[in-house]
Amino acid sequence: MSAMRILAYFGVTPDYEALRESEWSTAGRGPSSGGGEGDGRDEGAGPADLPDTRYVRRILDCFDESALELALRLLDALVGLGGTAGLGAVSVGAADAEPHLKTLLALGFERAARVHTEAVLDFAPAATAALIAAYTQRIDRSDLLMLGARSGPGGDGTVPFRVADHLGWPCITQATEVEPLADGRLRVTLMTDDGLQRLTARTPCVLAIGNAVVSHLRVPTLTDRLAVRGRQPDILEPADLGVDLSELLGRETQTLTALESVDRRRESILVPGDTPRAKAQALFDSRLKSLLEEL
Amino acid sequence: MRFAAVLDGTSTGSTDGTATVVHRQSAALGAFLRGGLDARAPGETLVFYDDEREKDRLIELAPTRDVRLVRTSARAFERMAAHLSTQAEGGQADLFLFAPGPAGTELATRLACRSGGGVLTDVVTAEAAPDRLSCRRYVCSGHLMGRFELSARPWCIGIDAGWTDAGEPEAIEHVVLSDTDDTVAGRPGPFEDPEVLEAPSTGDLAPSRFLVVAGSGAGSRAGVERIAAAAREMGATFGVTRPVAMNAWASMDRLIGVSGARTAPSLCIVAGASGAPAFYWGIEKAGVIVAVDLDEHAPIARDADLVLLDDAVAVVEELAAIVAAEREAR
Repeated sequence: MSAMRILAYFGVTPDYEALRESEWSTAGRGPSSGGGEGDGRDEGAGPADLPDTRYVRRILDCFDESALELALRLLDALVGLGGTAGLGAVSVGAADAEPHLKTLLALGFERAARVHTEAVLDFAPAATAALIAAYTQRIDRSDLLMLGARSGPGGDGTVPFRVADHLGWPCITQATEVEPLADGRLRVTLMTDDGLQRLTARTPCVLAIGNAVVSHLRVPTLTDRLAVRGRQPDILEPADLGVDLSELLGRETQTLTALESVDRRRESILVPGDTPRAKAQALFDSRLKSLLEEL
Repeated sequence: MRFAAVLDGTSTGSTDGTATVVHRQSAALGAFLRGGLDARAPGETLVFYDDEREKDRLIELAPTRDVRLVRTSARAFERMAAHLSTQAEGGQADLFLFAPGPAGTELATRLACRSGGGVLTDVVTAEAAPDRLSCRRYVCSGHLMGRFELSARPWCIGIDAGWTDAGEPEAIEHVVLSDTDDTVAGRPGPFEDPEVLEAPSTGDLAPSRFLVVAGSGAGSRAGVERIAAAAREMGATFGVTRPVAMNAWASMDRLIGVSGARTAPSLCIVAGASGAPAFYWGIEKAGVIVAVDLDEHAPIARDADLVLLDDAVAVVEELAAIVAAEREAR
């Protein structure tokens, strides 16, 4: 079995569920830019009026977290088959990813890097994909890229395919499991539009991870952390990858022009009662009985 | 402006899965053309297929009168995108519409990459102007609606999964404009040995009329299992939120929300879920939503029709007992 070089990409995102509900209202804000087409509708806020998330903790994007754990399991399985493999991780953005990169080093990732940019790439999937592809091809020279099927505030699910297109590689999306075969190929389980399937893939390829049962990244021990305490992730600039980020951002073909609040409110009638039994009975008598009869 | 709706009718591998998947694509595309696209434009449907025997059935599912057929290999998305790119260059369409799902997202993205056009997925509505396409889609895990503009053509649009429950496709008298063979003999695809593992087990969620959903407020796997048992007792379909599935308290195929199923039941009981937008998207078309939760400030308490502030497991079990007693009394 030949050596396999695996790279996992991840993004970090604010924990939106930790934001106060009122933070999401665009009323009274903006538009700071865009919008205002004069059609009489409330255009809400401009794209610069996203809620302030500076005080909210940063978490791994959920599908990216699955990709990282599946990459570790693939590494373990390859070693178990007597093969050799190297595992790296990369993120793109400001310093938010730094603690996660150090955790990954402690977990056995031999390479960890961040492509540094202060530019907000939340709604710039083409630029994000170009940076990931350039790092994969020019710096890491990996032959398997694993990442979440969608991530970030934009979360449009196009990044894995854009990266694959840059690299000229095939892409398997909505992958939920991956295991190595003795001949160096990979057996991949994926969720398609028509249910669960399994395919055999050759590298190089992009694996975009979907709703995997493996959804949590393992936690390193204190010993693991102490073993890599002197190591720091590599920090690269887009120029190190041969990428002109300003030029890339200027070529984005989608532009976010406005943000609108989403009003989901319903009647919200409180069902009375002192005990679970009393409340259940009140609900049944007032609405549920007739609704169930209609069903 | 001319549009092309794209149907991927290549085989899915399962016995009659292809027809089911294409039926769903067709219903969504047809509904979007009627209600989601603000433009009076001529258009046609491009149907990719790999099985000659399925051709007539696929033509019947096209959401437009004019149909072009392209024979190709299953899952050959790069090849399909290359064919679509040729169509775009030839001026046959400048707006390409793709059905919700992974295949539509891949085709839309690969076409845009090849042709230098703009791509947007999960589009709820689109308005065409001579120089741009303005679209709306949810952002920030469903907390906000974003308005986007695409300038570079072709515009490649993956439509939101909310259009999939639009019912039966319209009956149309179809005209087949062309039938092209784009298969490459003897050339292996990038993937081999496809194997269908099991029939989709999420199939009962979308058509459910009575749904009970357990959230992490159930507290434990045991709590979730008690809610599932109560749901069975009441004759309801059972679903869960993403945190419950991620804790492995229930299987992923029970997932409701952006990364799972979108439902439209007449009655939905949400037990112990906060009502995060990414989950709520999966139940927002429910007729009546009943929320059971201890937190009166949770979003679900505001976004439900009826609210019971109490322990979710206890209330749902009491409800099941009442429903069972009522059934026996009859």
